Amino acid sequence: MSSKAVIQKKICMLGGFAVGKTSLVKRFVSGQFSEKYHTTIGVKIDQKTQCVDDTEMLLVLWDVYGEDDFQKVRASYLHGSAGYLLVVDGTRKETLDIARQLHTLAVQSMGAVPYVLVINKHDLRESWQVDPKMYEDLASNACLVLQSSAKTGEGVESAFNELAKQLLKA
Amino acid sequence: MAPPSRPSLPNSPSEISLEDSKGFSYLRRLLLQPEQTELERLKGRLEDFTLQPHDVSRVLPDAIRLRAQQDSRLLTSMIPITQEALSLSIKQSPQLISDSIAPILGPAIRKAIARAMRGMVQSLNQTLEYSMSWKGLQWRWEAFRTGKSFAEVVLLHTLRFRVEQVFLIHKKTGLLLNHVVAEGISGQGEEVISGMLTAIQDFVRDSFGQKQDDGLESLRIGDLTVWIEQGSGAILAGVIRGAPPIELREVFQETLETIHAQFSELLQVFKGDVGAFEETRLPLEDCLQAQFEKKSKGFPLAFWILLGLLILGLGIWVFQARSDQKQWAQLLERIGQEPGLVVTSIQEEGPPTIFYGLRDPLATDPEQILSEFGYSSKQAVFHLKPFMDLTPEFVEKRAYAVLQPPSSADFRWQATHLSVGGHAPHAWITQANLLGPLLPGVMSFETNGMFGTEDLERFDTLRARLERLSVNFLVGGSALTKGEKTIISKVSEILESFDKQALLLGLNPQVQVLGFTDPRGSRDANLELSTARAKNVVQALPTNSFRALKVEAIGKGVTRSAEIEGLPIGGRRAVFRVVRPQGNLLESHK
Ligand SMILES: Nc1nc2c(ncn2[C@@H]2O[C@H](COP(=O)(O)OP(=O)(O)OP(=O)(O)O)[C@@H](O)[C@H]2O)c(=O)[nH]1
Ligand SMILES: [Mg+2]
Repeated sequence: MSSKAVIQKKICMLGGFAVGKTSLVKRFVSGQFSEKYHTTIGVKIDQKTQCVDDTEMLLVLWDVYGEDDFQKVRASYLHGSAGYLLVVDGTRKETLDIARQLHTLAVQSMGAVPYVLVINKHDLRESWQVDPKMYEDLASNACLVLQSSAKTGEGVESAFNELAKQLLKA
Repeated sequence: MAPPSRPSLPNSPSEISLEDSKGFSYLRRLLLQPEQTELERLKGRLEDFTLQPHDVSRVLPDAIRLRAQQDSRLLTSMIPITQEALSLSIKQSPQLISDSIAPILGPAIRKAIARAMRGMVQSLNQTLEYSMSWKGLQWRWEAFRTGKSFAEVVLLHTLRFRVEQVFLIHKKTGLLLNHVVAEGISGQGEEVISGMLTAIQDFVRDSFGQKQDDGLESLRIGDLTVWIEQGSGAILAGVIRGAPPIELREVFQETLETIHAQFSELLQVFKGDVGAFEETRLPLEDCLQAQFEKKSKGFPLAFWILLGLLILGLGIWVFQARSDQKQWAQLLERIGQEPGLVVTSIQEEGPPTIFYGLRDPLATDPEQILSEFGYSSKQAVFHLKPFMDLTPEFVEKRAYAVLQPPSSADFRWQATHLSVGGHAPHAWITQANLLGPLLPGVMSFETNGMFGTEDLERFDTLRARLERLSVNFLVGGSALTKGEKTIISKVSEILESFDKQALLLGLNPQVQVLGFTDPRGSRDANLELSTARAKNVVQALPTNSFRALKVEAIGKGVTRSAEIEGLPIGGRRAVFRVVRPQGNLLESHK
């Protein structure tokens, strides 16, 4: 097998449409960012090896399409996931509700697995619509809550790294 | 267990005396003896409780099974003991161990070696088989064009199917447990592919509302087919190039079953530790099968070309030999038929073949015949004695050869009788008259019909001289003038010679004397005058002395050039014309 890592983990990116799931993965995997928006159809899978406490891990990232009125996320994509990133678009408070629904779906289909709550697009904080009080419920069980930006790279590495750390412990 | 109920005593004391304690204890003993001993034994066992090997041996197998179901503590505690026992056993009796594992180890090693060899031999075979064929040449060209290796091109073209990659995927997480690739194939992003395959599975299943165990069985992308086998804990996906046979499915299924049998627990508790599945490599590699086109059981093209050339060569050789034979037969026939050539025997031991026989010196040179047929003295030699052929053809030939007649002489054969006509110089005629009768095969010879060439010449000369002369007259007169009498005597002299010559040649020439006038005067008068002039000339000639000649006088009136060719126009005169025989004798007697 080509990968040296013997520990593999499936991680799902969950969140409403256009919150920046694909952008976060892209930033994390290849360090790039694009202003252009191409909605994800189905699932896009990426991988990245991550070193956590001298253990090499292979993170297999399932970038699931964002949920909207027309498309509910399929539970089957979430099966077997070791953890997930719950992504909210800080400039659209309605994405919090979607995040909540997805969180419920996740708990149903994979049990209480570690997750990181990411409030994305922090570079646009002047048009911010959410504040921490609004997502206390989601934050309470999360292993980490942070503000991120796929554009500047802020918080991206730490989000994935923290999740990987939790997964190694589990 | 409920406490044992005391055995009830019979309810009729009247029958047994209670005072009789001796008797009672006897009775008791009598009634409860068996239970009593049993109780005594149990009491003894309970008081002194230690495990009896006999008892343990009865429950041990069940106990182990029950404990193993409960947790793995028994297993862990047994590991060091087993290991130690094993190593001790190996030390003490290595033969025993090696004997018992040999049956497993042998086939395993063989299998591994065979697998390694198979790939190698196959590609070698393919390369060899195709390297000499027409296809092979085309593929070489393709390899050159595309920059691929020849072996690779051969592989692609002769491939029926080949399993290029096999994925073992954890069903629940979609994570890649193990992945094997065929030789020369480089896997890329297997983990992502593995994930995507699972995602596609999920998608299809969700979209078409199938049960959990159903799923996508195959995918096609161009020349590639992906076959997917579903197990309870893992999915096996094979990427196949070409058209796989249905039996391959069974191989996949069996492999997946084997893996499940061995790893079912690990599959259930899988948390991302794929290292534990490294052992699936061997069974997975068994799925990396391939089948190539059997090359038609023919010989390579080079063989056919060679065979073709050989047949062609043989054909040419046979053809040449046959045409040689034909040529030779034709030569023999020709020699047999050649006039003046008689072959009496042929010595064929040669080369050269030797012909013995006879040859008329006038016959065609046999060497020439040889070269006509393309042979030389290397192939055939003639040993011929001269002889004289008396067939008419050769008699004639010989007559010509000996007499060498001028072209004006004319040989006329009647069987073996030869008479010569035409004309020839006197000398030739004289010689021919001497030699002719001596010619072998010539029965009679005569030259009686011949003219001497010299005589003919003289006749023609005299005639020409005569025809150039003319006798002139005065105006209106027909009498011969004095001056003209010399002309008349000259004419007479020529005519006398001419007569002699005609006599010699046996001819009777006719000479006309033609009289003419000038245009003056009437037509009748002129005719009369011209007749008188011609007559006067004839009278002046010594016509009586001529023995062969006949002389005739004709008056022609006024001269008309068209009437008498070559005559000077106009004039009062008489001229001479030899009208029979006409023309030049020398010419006409050729
Ligand atoms: N300014 C800014 N723009 C972002 C950020 N992350 C994403 N975007 C933009 O948001 C748009 C949507 O991003 P995607 O990453 O495609 O969003 P998604 O969640 O994958 O969307 P779906 O696949 O449709 O569910 C794109 O135009 C991105 O450029 C960010 O951190 N800051
Ligand atoms: Mg996307």
